[in-house]
Amino acid sequence: MAYKLIGKNFTPPDIEAKVTGAATYAEDFRADGMAHVKFYGSPMPHGRVNNIDLSEAEKVPGFLTALLPDEVKQPESPVGQAILSDEAVYFGQPILAIAAETEQAAADAVAAVRVDMELLPFVTNPLESLQPDGPNALNGINVAGQGIDFQELKWSGRDFALAGEETLPLGTPALEWSFGDIEAGFANAAVIVEESFVHASNAHHAMEPRSAAAYWEGGKCHVWGSTQSTAFAQPGLANLIGISPSELVFVSEFCGGGFGGKATTYPLMALPALVSRKLNGRPCLLRVSRNEEYNNGYARAGFQGWAKLGFNNEGRMLAADIYVVQDLGSTSGFPDFNNVGSSAIIVFQPEAIRFRATPVLTNTVPKGAQRGPGENQAANMLEPLLDKAARELGIDRLALRLANAPGGGVGAKYGPDQGPVTSAYLREALEKGAEAFNWEERSKQSGVRNGSKVRGYGIGQAYHTAGSNGFDGLLRITPDGILHVHTGVGNLGTFSYASTSRIAAEVLGYDWDRVVLEYGGTTRHLPWNLGQFGSNTNFTMTRTNYVAAMDAAQKLKEIAAATLGGNAEDYELKEERVVKTGDESVGMSFAEAAQKAIETGGRYDGHELPEDINPMTVASASAIAGTGLIGVAKDNLPKEGTVPALAAAFVEVDVDVETGKVDILDYHCVADCGTVIHPMGLAAQVRGGAVMGFGLATSERHVYDPQYGRPNAQSLYQAKPKTYLDIPTQMGWSAVDLPDSQNPLGMKGIGEPLEGAASSALITAISDALGGHLFNRTPVVTDMILNAAEGRPQSHKPLATNTV
Amino acid sequence: MTKYGPYDPTLDYAPGPAPTRKGGGVETPSWKPLHMSRRNFLRGVVCSGVVIGGSAYLFSTTTPARSDTRAVERLVRLTVNGRTHSIEVPPNETLAHTIRYRLGLTGTKIGCNQGECGACTVLAGDTTIYSCSTLTHRVREVDITTVEGIAGPDGALHPVQQAFIDEIAPQCGFCTPGQVVTAVALLKKNPKPTIEEARLAMSGNLCRCGAYDHYLRGIMKAAERV
Amino acid sequence: MTDVMHNFELFQPATLADAQAILGDHSDAWVLAGGMDSLDWFKHRVKQPAVVVDIGNIPDLHGIREEEDGGLWIGATTTLTEVNESEAVKSRFPILAEAALKVASPQIRNRGTIGGNVAQDTRCVYYRDGFPCYRAGGNTCYANTPTAMNREHALFEVSRCVAVSPSDTATALAALEGVFVVQRGGSQQEVAAEDFFIGPDVDITRMTMLEPGDILVGIRIPAKWAGSRQYFEKVADRNAWDFALVNVAMAASVEDGAISDISIVCGAVQCTPRRLSDVESLVRGEAPGEELESLVKRVAARGAEPLNFNHFKIPLMENLAVRAIRSLA
Repeated sequence: MAYKLIGKNFTPPDIEAKVTGAATYAEDFRADGMAHVKFYGSPMPHGRVNNIDLSEAEKVPGFLTALLPDEVKQPESPVGQAILSDEAVYFGQPILAIAAETEQAAADAVAAVRVDMELLPFVTNPLESLQPDGPNALNGINVAGQGIDFQELKWSGRDFALAGEETLPLGTPALEWSFGDIEAGFANAAVIVEESFVHASNAHHAMEPRSAAAYWEGGKCHVWGSTQSTAFAQPGLANLIGISPSELVFVSEFCGGGFGGKATTYPLMALPALVSRKLNGRPCLLRVSRNEEYNNGYARAGFQGWAKLGFNNEGRMLAADIYVVQDLGSTSGFPDFNNVGSSAIIVFQPEAIRFRATPVLTNTVPKGAQRGPGENQAANMLEPLLDKAARELGIDRLALRLANAPGGGVGAKYGPDQGPVTSAYLREALEKGAEAFNWEERSKQSGVRNGSKVRGYGIGQAYHTAGSNGFDGLLRITPDGILHVHTGVGNLGTFSYASTSRIAAEVLGYDWDRVVLEYGGTTRHLPWNLGQFGSNTNFTMTRTNYVAAMDAAQKLKEIAAATLGGNAEDYELKEERVVKTGDESVGMSFAEAAQKAIETGGRYDGHELPEDINPMTVASASAIAGTGLIGVAKDNLPKEGTVPALAAAFVEVDVDVETGKVDILDYHCVADCGTVIHPMGLAAQVRGGAVMGFGLATSERHVYDPQYGRPNAQSLYQAKPKTYLDIPTQMGWSAVDLPDSQNPLGMKGIGEPLEGAASSALITAISDALGGHLFNRTPVVTDMILNAAEGRPQSHKPLATNTV
Repeated sequence: MTKYGPYDPTLDYAPGPAPTRKGGGVETPSWKPLHMSRRNFLRGVVCSGVVIGGSAYLFSTTTPARSDTRAVERLVRLTVNGRTHSIEVPPNETLAHTIRYRLGLTGTKIGCNQGECGACTVLAGDTTIYSCSTLTHRVREVDITTVEGIAGPDGALHPVQQAFIDEIAPQCGFCTPGQVVTAVALLKKNPKPTIEEARLAMSGNLCRCGAYDHYLRGIMKAAERV
Repeated sequence: MTDVMHNFELFQPATLADAQAILGDHSDAWVLAGGMDSLDWFKHRVKQPAVVVDIGNIPDLHGIREEEDGGLWIGATTTLTEVNESEAVKSRFPILAEAALKVASPQIRNRGTIGGNVAQDTRCVYYRDGFPCYRAGGNTCYANTPTAMNREHALFEVSRCVAVSPSDTATALAALEGVFVVQRGGSQQEVAAEDFFIGPDVDITRMTMLEPGDILVGIRIPAKWAGSRQYFEKVADRNAWDFALVNVAMAASVEDGAISDISIVCGAVQCTPRRLSDVESLVRGEAPGEELESLVKRVAARGAEPLNFNHFKIPLMENLAVRAIRSLA
């Protein structure tokens, strides 16, 4: 189908403000008389506050007030997270907040606070907590996680003794599922690979720390916050502040990076609002420092894991037995563990699988979602094992992946219930990428040495679920003929808030320059939308904008019929007019129709609304009722199955075996994201995801000294996200560009697997340059490569985690 | 065994019901007395003696601000984007803070406040500096240019800004002001850089979204247009 | 952790004499040059001097001069960018230009000074986090416990403290046998590199011989190695910002196919730049080549005593020494 807007590049409406400095983020909030808020972070990984002495702090000139833990709502669950806590469970956890006239005074006052704390047992290594006498991160609790009752779980001494130091003990899991007959699969396997491995946790380190500002006025609380989501974050933030959603005005026009770490709302965002309330609504700004961002910015969960994979002679995966212990951090965290299992199923389509997981609490940074949570770790942990199997089978590494990857659209299986997927073209992505990269010819150079550098090639694959449904679309055509698309999805920087809004314009036949996007805050009257996370935006928001546009189209036709005669079916939309099919002289402009909608009232101008839409949408639509023709609908389109975003990547590297340094020479990634909406936006995501993936693969990690439970990698130079000088100059990309079956325009998301495909491809490429050496540890850091090249032992014990 | 169904992102991200204790209700249990295993005890010993009464269990080198040395604000004349301001600035204030909080120019971003990201980059004369790591009193004599001073007086975008838009270079946009300032400085000094020269010149500007390739494409495009 | 500096009194003297006078009046005054290291200490409030003396306005401390003997004088507050871009430095002492270019990032090089780079404090994370370690006046080394994270720490010359100097230019200047000109009291002293950089056995609280009140005026690079065969390489995790895991700097003369004289130094392997005297004595008079390289690899890290996480520095140091010698072939 020839689209007017879909598949075309465009200039997102917010991008000019980004290059001129006009874009305002939370910390750019300014108000007369604004007070500054700072918080006191726990100086220990687990401790109980016995006493707080503010006497010296109060003497600091400019001191205004302090907010203490007993003044804020505490979570109902011990694995929840408080805004301020008198029992800190991780280093840097906010204990109290102080407001002062200046930032200097606030910082000086915090430095003058004396907190008497009692150190409690702490742990940074999940396996240590699972030992019979191991410490618990929380009092009496060491295992939790979504869908798992919090509990104390210890493995037996026998479990540990049987495993030894180099293998993951396979103790009682907190979660287990399976399908098929894995024993039969292993019995029939030509090759079985079995490895234990570690994947580090790592920080999001979005460029914008999670600063926030707030004030109270006219009975409402106004918050400027940094979040990936607008509508979806609003109720949760209201709840944290302790008000109803209708009492919260929430502004989040720009978000300086989230990557999952600012998926919705989070306790720190509510802090200035609570301090402001104590100051009778005076504007308060909390500027979060880089170290505070590290400690309170959530993080990707690490794993200690084990896998046994059986393959037949063609490389088909007959059986998979996977066990992961997740480093949950100090709260119930994010269910990355689930996603390890689900990604193994969808990427490898094994004939039988058993999946076990135990998420363990540690006194480390609370974990949240980070781009491809679980799935990208799975790629880094498991893809090297595929290479090992291919080597042992004597088949090409691409061939082994093609033997398992789902392709052909529908038909692939998802989850332990082997449910359907809406489309999967990973096989096609591998084939397209192999051709663009010239895999067959180039990979013959594998292992070729030039001076101290050895050439290596890698393939990576990754998955993330990429779509949801059931949210509301809202738009209006004003009497000036302009289309306003109200979108509450959030502005993470992918520009998908804009590209998915183009679907409404496409359906209605609008010129893009006559479309205004209403986004960035609740004052823009937003519909209830899912947030901008989980690679879901393309799929979910194109559907909601589609149904709202279809609603508007129907109303346009009905108004034309009522005004000009005939039935709605007799009319069609053409060049921003609604005209009679076959006789375009009979018709009216959208502007005229909008005016008519206001005159007609009822459902045409938003005074009557569908019954199935969310209360937030009701409130927003009611607020704009009478201002134009309103298109509003809940996405009730059919959706059968899980929506997979998939990506395949190819990397060429030179590994310097004298220094351990890796040069990434070439990169190509193919995205299976359904119909491409915005090619340049996709290109930016493919390349940006790769850069992040390269960091995940080779440099980014948490480091804790287990003796003190203190983070040793809080700064960027210690956490090591990649710089301009660490990436290839050019990175290629393409898309399968085949439509998804369950989206009216064939679209689905892609953001997350773009990182995991890149990271796993880089890890397998480094391994390839070293003759197939398996590190079984992510990231693969300079010293590990050098030690491997020199035949030296690695410094860390095989299953150690949160270490350098 | 826990029920495991098709993935629903709304479940993962939405604040759900409070998790339940195994074998019990939602009620928060009363805390048990601290179980001190041998391992814990040993670890406790290392930290003992400094646990109580301090701001830290390990150390307390962070002392309260000394009121007797509270620095006095001093008047400085600071020229930013061609405009000279007479403002009172304490000696320990960074240029980033002065620009953002005293002059209200919030385009310059504080990403790390410790010279390791580049979001705060401004020009001192023609030289790029991290404004977060420069005392305002250090640059009294120098003309400062922030991202707000890059476009023409009529608001016409600089070729670098236009090229960054054309290449969809910014993603989240938080590092972008720094990228713009550094790229403009580069082209002033070296109007026709090679891509390797551009990479090196830009290497003090971190982009967590990983948009390096797009910024570089923008610079090469801008170099053609300048 | 906060990132708001404590309050301090700031002096910005215009002459060396004024600076000295202020330092004389305030015993705990802190000397500030580019501020790239200093301000982080203040922001984290681990070091909170009441008085800060900004020496950036003193003309006598700035600039690059060619000396009569063919050497160079580089003022302490000359920026790393100025060092890197100086034709005189590039043509005579390319390893210093390269070392300056490898420091951190362009903006840091634009503000950071050569004096500050050589005199900067160690990056030991425990020390910088404010642990009461030996270097901070305490009685423990937290980086050398059975569980310590000491991947970046020392292989040699450990004396209670296992921290290393993170400087890239110090390695190059040590290889070039630079002389450090220090203003102490009323006189200027010329201090050789091996005396300027001090280990924990000399004074565990300092990285250089600079005492409170001293000012590093400049660095004199003698003509000895001007125009010689030189090699510098830094290995760090990332190619911008990061400190060296190990770096190497070499200056050598080759006559009739044999190495007639050599100075080779590794950085980030101990508290001071480490002169590889075993390598030097091995290769003098020898022809570069594969056989010599294999011998260099044997001796380059001899005597290393690795900690739990840093034994990779042994082959890294060996290989960098080999690469330096290989460049002479």
